[in-house]
Amino acid sequence: MDNQDEIRKIQLVNQLDQLETISRFLDELAEAWDLSIPFVMKLNLVLEEAFTNIVNYGYQDNETHEIVLVFEKQNERLLVSLIDDAMPYDPTIAPDPDINLSAEERKIGGLGIFFIRKMMDKVSYQRMGSNNVLKMEKVINP
Amino acid sequence: MMNLNFTEVNNYKVVQIEGRIDTITAPDFESGIMNLMSDGVTKMIFDCTKLDYVSSSGLRVFLMAQKNISTNKGMLKVCCLQPSIKEIFDISGFSQIFTIEDSIEYASGS
Repeated sequence: MDNQDEIRKIQLVNQLDQLETISRFLDELAEAWDLSIPFVMKLNLVLEEAFTNIVNYGYQDNETHEIVLVFEKQNERLLVSLIDDAMPYDPTIAPDPDINLSAEERKIGGLGIFFIRKMMDKVSYQRMGSNNVLKMEKVINP
Repeated sequence: MMNLNFTEVNNYKVVQIEGRIDTITAPDFESGIMNLMSDGVTKMIFDCTKLDYVSSSGLRVFLMAQKNISTNKGMLKVCCLQPSIKEIFDISGFSQIFTIEDSIEYASGS
């Protein structure tokens, strides 16, 4: 397999219906890169949470914005970069939810970001010019 | 895509959830459950045998249902989670919040 095959990119816009496009893209990726169903499910979850956050909270105008996902397969690791021009937001420093509270005390907020950090092996954030760049990494396992 | 199928076992309303509960489908899941609650249903089992995917949007509805049913002194049981869904419940602390059973028979006490 030549190098070209190890990088895949998808360009999206800031609309929630793009979540279906992401899911379909991941299914294609699973086939091309031989990724297991549980692995892809986790990846889908992480990307849904990150993407939904950006679309729901990242923009103050009503314009269409581009959001880019880059997938890179490096041997046994998968690297994903999420690039958007929303307002600066660093999910790596968001506080963890208290997962030991009872149902009555529990609030749902913060769970999405928590999933990103828990499901991926490594998560890093950079503000580059007018872009947020979220880089995530996970060992490909069954 | 998500479908809800409703049956009844031993006075429990069994809600079989099929497919995915994500940001797109969570509102349908929520209105399905809200309808049951406004009909006065207080004993429910969420049958997750065919639930393939759940994100925080879906978990928010699970939590809402649990809070509502607790307030009304009812009973909610979650049944038959697939391993990858169980993992999400574990990570989020939901395994401690919900009564999770391995079969409908056990959940409904029949």
